[in-house]
Amino acid sequence: MRPILMKGHERPLTFLKYNRDGDLLFSCAKDHNPTVWFADNGERLGTYRGHNGAVWCCDVSRDSGRLITGSADQTAKLWNVQTGQQLFTFNFDSPARSVDFAVGDKLAVITTDPFMELPSAIHVKRIANDPAEQTGESVLLIKGPQGRINRAIWGPLNRTIISAGEDAVIRIWDSETGKLLKESDKESGHKKTVTSLAKSADGSHFLTGSLDKSARLWDTRTLTLIKTYVTERPVNAVAMSPLLDHVVLGGGQDASAVTTTDHRAGKFEAKFYDKILQEEIGGVKGHFGPINALAFNPDGKSFSSGGEDGYVRLHHFDPDYFNIKI
Amino acid sequence: MEVLLFAVMAGLAPEGTQFDGRQYDAKMSELLSTDGQEFFTSYDEVYDSFDAMGLQENLLRGIYAYGFERPSAIQQRGIVPFCKGLDVIQQAQSGTGKTATFCSGILQQLDYGLVQCQALVLAPTRELAQQIEKVMRALGDYLGVKVHACVGGTSVREDQRILQAGVHTVVGTPGRVFDMLRRQSLRPDCIKMFVLDEADEMLSRGFKDQIYDIFQLLPSKIQVGVFSATMPPEALEITRKFMNKPVRILVKRDELTLEGIKQFYVNVDKEEWKLETLCDLYETLAITQSVIFVNTRRKVDWLTDKMRSNDHTVSATHGDMDQNTRDIIMREFRSGSSRVLITTDLLARGIDVQQVSLVINYDLPTQPENYLHRIGRSGRFGRKGVAINFVTTDDSRMLSDIQKFYNVTVEELPSNVADLL
Repeated sequence: MRPILMKGHERPLTFLKYNRDGDLLFSCAKDHNPTVWFADNGERLGTYRGHNGAVWCCDVSRDSGRLITGSADQTAKLWNVQTGQQLFTFNFDSPARSVDFAVGDKLAVITTDPFMELPSAIHVKRIANDPAEQTGESVLLIKGPQGRINRAIWGPLNRTIISAGEDAVIRIWDSETGKLLKESDKESGHKKTVTSLAKSADGSHFLTGSLDKSARLWDTRTLTLIKTYVTERPVNAVAMSPLLDHVVLGGGQDASAVTTTDHRAGKFEAKFYDKILQEEIGGVKGHFGPINALAFNPDGKSFSSGGEDGYVRLHHFDPDYFNIKI
Repeated sequence: MEVLLFAVMAGLAPEGTQFDGRQYDAKMSELLSTDGQEFFTSYDEVYDSFDAMGLQENLLRGIYAYGFERPSAIQQRGIVPFCKGLDVIQQAQSGTGKTATFCSGILQQLDYGLVQCQALVLAPTRELAQQIEKVMRALGDYLGVKVHACVGGTSVREDQRILQAGVHTVVGTPGRVFDMLRRQSLRPDCIKMFVLDEADEMLSRGFKDQIYDIFQLLPSKIQVGVFSATMPPEALEITRKFMNKPVRILVKRDELTLEGIKQFYVNVDKEEWKLETLCDLYETLAITQSVIFVNTRRKVDWLTDKMRSNDHTVSATHGDMDQNTRDIIMREFRSGSSRVLITTDLLARGIDVQQVSLVINYDLPTQPENYLHRIGRSGRFGRKGVAINFVTTDDSRMLSDIQKFYNVTVEELPSNVADLL
């Protein structure tokens, strides 16, 4: 497969997200301007201008009408996907890190980083149908896991929130009361910062990537560890195929060390694993720096990777990919 | 951990391409051992988070908003001593976070209620000065910093207007900065911080006298920062005149690693065959952003014409071009509408385009230390690169010297070079 190289970001990529229909791909980077692309040919459709800092994460509503972005400028913003108009700004006292719409798009979970004396926090905001009625009030505020909460997503039926971050612990919270329901087991869980998290298509399980050079598969309800995928590089991004039992890991050595080590040490390929057998199937080369973002198209026929090098690479699978035998 | 290392530095080759590593090392040892104890300040602390550095809140906000999360190794060592008002000599390779180190140090110490120039940063090229200004502006956004890039080729009148209106920091090239000082549009009275970026290049490329002239106009009590990828003996000797017991953060010559960049050579035998080799590689070049280095301005023009005659799309830039043209070309290249740039060493440090992944030394550099800066363009923070050297029979000695100089291996170019990109 010959990737489509998407050039539009001047600084490292941080996050990639397809809409539900799979015809749009949203990318976030440190250059302040989330971008939307046509997901089949990689043409740029537009950018969302308004943030004043690196943009760490985004999510798009089911009907592709609304985009939410979380930024290091201490805000999260709501946008009209089609027009690029800013609809609302949620202001925080520290960088906003992860954003996720709930099923039904009436709620959103937003995490904020620790900052000086402020602890990290998980905020639940109500999302109004009518932008004129939107307020910044929090329905729920959960404070205090150690370190940044790199990812937080809604659990089944919007009853729970799943969070993971710098303290390597995955947590399940009650989304109404804020009560901590479950924590990942220290012994079988990640040993270092959890960098990324991807939910399966049916939501029954999710995959986490970590700087401990592994990715782990968890049951969403019980937080039981199902599978572990071991690599030889820190994992910055994970994704799961919606069609096949494949998972993809991306990462590479830390950005600050890249120019001071041997050229073989980078390990910047996206690696495919069999979800069940935990064996590596193959890899996709191309990035000159760590991969920071991965996403599968909901149709399962293509995936995108975003790197420290500022490129988004769009890969349409060859027919052979769908006939791989282990 | 021993943070302060005795430095054994890259330096100027005494004659042509003849480099004597032993003589160089001996000179460095002499410089450092005789006066080392009295001239340098020890500073061993390492800070593994920005929060732990005691930076003011709005500077921290700017650092995190820029997208930094954790300090790189040199930021861990260099930001705090600079913030404390100490003179600092910091050596750091391309792409390891040097600009943010001195920008943070300056921003921490400015008095934002005083709209007078309090910090002066000198850079060897206009492009580099503009990049530093951009980072300074971004990191200082929450502080309300006023920073101006004072560089040649722009309107003198506009510079005068901006400087007279008042700024906190000036980033500039030596010629224009000296001119503004001489005209008294830039008043030195409140300047308390002076930074030389890419100091070895500044001192070796005919800027020495201009820097001396500028320094003499500055207040006698001033903090000095010197930053560069290489610290030749000549640079260290000169900084002795400017600096007061500086904190020294240096690396050994053989630790000036370029291992993040794959390095290859192509044996072209004759000068005349380089062009054909380059045309053969063109398709590979255009996959990503590439920079081709030649040694003279005239050759930039010649090679550009030749490539275009062969129906290859290339951009070119060198010091003789007027500033507007250089700006347009860099904008084209930076945006990716043009993917191949032909240039000379003068601009090697100003090309900080995120996606440059391939550097071609059509001509080997005449000075070994320029090799580091040239191919450093293809390996920036978080991104490895590839460098290809065209080597004629006459060049083999220089290539050998470069390999010894930097303790690297330059392999023969494999036929599947496209797979490496």
